[in-house]
Formats: sequence, C-alpha cells, structure tokens
Amino acid sequence: MTGRVWLGWALVILALVAIPVVISSSFYLGIVTHALILAILALSLNVLIGHAGMTSLGHAVYLGIPAYAVAWLSTQAGWGPIQSIIVAMVLGTATSAFFGILALRASGLGFLMITLALGQVMWGIAYRWVDLTGGDNGIRLDHRPVLLGFDFTGAVPFYGLVATALVVALFCLWQLDRSPYGACLRGTRDQPRRMRMLGHDVWRIRYLAFITSGFWGSVAGVLYCYDYTYVSPQALSLPQSAEALLMVVLGGAGTLAGPVLGAIIITVIKTVVSSYVDRWYSLLGLTFIVVVMLMPRGIVPGVRAWVGGRRA
Amino acid sequence: MTVPALQISNLAKRFGGLAATRNVSLTVMPGERRLLIGPNGAGKTTLFNQIAGDFLPDSGSIRLFGEDMTRLPTPTRVKMGLGRTYQVLTLFPHDTLVHNVALALLGSEGGGWVAFGALASQRERLARAMEALEDVGLGHAAYRRVSETSYGERRRLELAMALAQKPKVLLLDEPLAGLSADERETVRALLERIPRDVTIILIEHDMDVALAFADRITLLHFGEVILEGTRAEVIADPRTREVYLGS
Repeated sequence: MTGRVWLGWALVILALVAIPVVISSSFYLGIVTHALILAILALSLNVLIGHAGMTSLGHAVYLGIPAYAVAWLSTQAGWGPIQSIIVAMVLGTATSAFFGILALRASGLGFLMITLALGQVMWGIAYRWVDLTGGDNGIRLDHRPVLLGFDFTGAVPFYGLVATALVVALFCLWQLDRSPYGACLRGTRDQPRRMRMLGHDVWRIRYLAFITSGFWGSVAGVLYCYDYTYVSPQALSLPQSAEALLMVVLGGAGTLAGPVLGAIIITVIKTVVSSYVDRWYSLLGLTFIVVVMLMPRGIVPGVRAWVGGRRA
Repeated sequence: MTVPALQISNLAKRFGGLAATRNVSLTVMPGERRLLIGPNGAGKTTLFNQIAGDFLPDSGSIRLFGEDMTRLPTPTRVKMGLGRTYQVLTLFPHDTLVHNVALALLGSEGGGWVAFGALASQRERLARAMEALEDVGLGHAAYRRVSETSYGERRRLELAMALAQKPKVLLLDEPLAGLSADERETVRALLERIPRDVTIILIEHDMDVALAFADRITLLHFGEVILEGTRAEVIADPRTREVYLGS
C-alpha cells in the first residue's frame, strides 16, 4: 500500500475513534451508530449497483431476515448471542444465494422488478405470519449482546462494535474493488458480452457479487437488530430498500466513501433535521434532486471531478 | 488426415421470418486465412455470433478442431481456443490498456475469482499483458485509460486482447473499419505478423488488404454461402461482381 492509502485508512480509523470522545450525548452517538449500520447496508448494496451495475429494490431483505433471525433465536429459541448471530448471518447469506438464482435470470429492469417482488414477498411474510414474526408488533430483544466477555449493552461499546464492523467491511470491499475479481465484476458491468468472449462466466461473477452483497447486508441486519433491540416488518419494507438505494446513488455508486456519506446524510436528515422540519421527506427529496442535478454520478465522484477540474 | 480448425455444417438461424443463415457449411483448415465477404446484411457477423456462441443456431453444427461446440457456452469455446474481435469496439473504457489485456488473460487462464490482493500487484500477469501490448505497438500507452486513446489505438488494443489469449482460431470482424490510411497499414502489418498456428477468419470490406491476406474466400448472400474458392476463383466468378463488388 502507498503512503497515501495508509494515511487514508489512518484518518478513517482516527475519525471513528474520535466520534465517541467528541459526542458525549448517548442520543447523538446512537444516531451516528445507526448511520454507520446503514452505511454497511449501503456498502453491501453498492457491490451490486456500483460494481456489478445491477440495481436492486429489495435489498432490505438482507437487513430484515438476519435481524428477525437474531431476535427470534435469542428470544423464542433461547439461544446465546454468538450462535444466534452465526445462524442469522448464514440464513441471510443463504437467502441471497437462493434469491440470486431467481433474480439473475434477468438483468436491468427485469432484475430490479424481481428483487422488488422478492422483497415484497418477504415483507408480506413478516407482516402476516404473526406466530413467527409477531406481525406488526415485531420482536423485542431484552438487551444488546455480551460477546466473548465484552459487554456491548452500553452506547459507547456498541458504537465500538459497529465502527469495527464498518472498518472491516470497508477494508474487505476495498480489497474486492482492486482485486482481479473486482476488475472482472466491473467488466461484467461495462461489457458483459465481451467478458463472455474473453472466457469469463458472467453469470457466476454476478452471482458471487449477489452473495457478497447479501453477506454484508446480513452484517448490517444483525447490528440493526441489536441497535434498536427490536425488529418489525419495517426492516424488510420497500421504503427501507429504497432508502438504501438512495444512499448509494446520493453518495456515489461504485465508490467506497459514497455509500457511507449517503448513509450519513440521509440518517441526519431523517433523525436530526426531522426534529426541526415537519416536511423532512420533502427536504430529503429536494436534497436528492439538487445533488443529481449538480453531480449526476453522486457526491463523491462529483467532488472528485470538481477538484480534478480545478487542478487541471 | 488433418482435422479442420473450424468445421461448420448446415448451420441455420432464423429470427422470426428472417433467415439470418441458411444451411451454411464451411471448412477452415489449420493456419488458413479465410475471408468472409458479402454485402451488408449477408449474415457475416451473424455467423460470427453463432460461432462465438452469442446465440445458438436452430440447426447444424460447429466443430473446433473436431470437438463439437454447437451448444457450448461462449466461455467454454474461448477455453477451447476461440478468440474474437468486434466490429464495434467493446473495450473497458474506465480501465487502463494493460488492465484490459489483464482481463483477457484472467479470462483464458483463470484467477478471476481472487477477491483479495490488487490486480495491479500481479506483476507476472501484467508483464505478459505488457508484452501483448508491445506486440501491437501500444507499450508506451499501457497505463493510459482506454478513454484517453485514439480510435486506431483502440483497434489495436482489441487485437492485443484477443492475441494475448493465444487463440487457435481467431475471428476478426472488420479490424480495419474506421481507420485512417496510416493506421490501416499498421494493422495490416500486425495481421501479417500473426503466426500461422493461429487460424484466422476475417470479415473485411477493404478489398485491397483483405484479398492480399486471404488464402481462400467465402461469399455470403442472404445468409447463404453462394461461392467459395481461392482468390483468383472468387474474383473471376461473375456472381462475386453481381452480389458484392458491383459492375
């Protein structure tokens, strides 16, 4: 790694370490924690949208299913947190492996519609299968987990857990981006026909991206459940999927920083600005329109182009 | 008896009411330079698409060095030794030239599933990619993005990507299309330098270059082979003038 890359990573870690020092209010730290969880979700969706060029409108499935699994296994089955988390992760990733087979039968708009339909089916199950999911009431956890002797029930330790997960996700997805697989994935996005003619199995490359996306979505799902100590059909809903999509597009698909930035902006508008502005949904929409008009590829690529233009 | 490099038997493909290829049969021997000619819409590129596996024929068979590949997926055909360039450039515009060739090498050699460690640090692979670029005179531009190169350079990059895979049979779809006179000469010289262990099937409308290059010529018209023979035979045949060269 070059010195500049090391510096970038050091700054990210430093910023994450500094946040609980600077923000003493557990309420605001909770908002940051929530934003970081959604950043992991947005990063996972970015594997599909940014790298593979496949837009999904059902990504909340991988947030909701592991969240329900953790909540149900902890409260109904009486499992410990480690077993619950492992099974929830496996279940979320396995769901993506199954749904990937269905969704990748199509591309473009067809892919979008299949992911939307699958998302709606899972939302319907969560909403209607009351015996399993608690229906509209959802499932409530007693507290956040204690893992391997570490108590994550407090706001600061839980923030630490989420921040660590985010750094690990960022590192793994950064590795993926620069790896031979990352190059192949972008190749299938830009020239799928040519990739086939170069000997690449385009379907398998996309399928692996779908599963990778589901895995990181599941990480976000587990953390999401412990963050709220509650899960309801909202976690699987279309607005949740659309929000994740918005985060990626707003920040800049295909970049590492973009989805994180998009998640932070949307969480701030949703949780902080909404305390002061009644029509915060309109504000969210307006923000999106302004960004898309000024920087059609999202904030991070837009700023990069602007800085590059000024230097040239 | 020598096994043909490519043997196509009674290949037929219809798109609704339109017959794109009608019972096309073609035998290309190893090392041969075969030129496919015909007016626009004759089915030349459609034939290439079927050989490459972009779509399957309704009937007939395609064999590569005796192995039936009629129903095989495109990546398997590539691993069997088939290579191709496109009439309309299909490159990876956001990547550097050397990474474009590296993608070609990953396709033919495997290694595309590695998700940790940078492609840029795979020195041995990049060295071979660089070699392929130098072979087509693009070594100096290896670390430029495709979007920053000229059209002629992109045409040569297409060739470099195909040749880097060391194909046994190479389909070249109008490699001179859109090039200036100087660039045509450069690409012509490159084509001449391709060793004879690569069998080439060429679609090209630049008759001066194509006729000099070809060992045998096949004339297609309305998806049908109407004539096949040596250069002299095809040029002398009145049907060539009638359907393709004009009077």
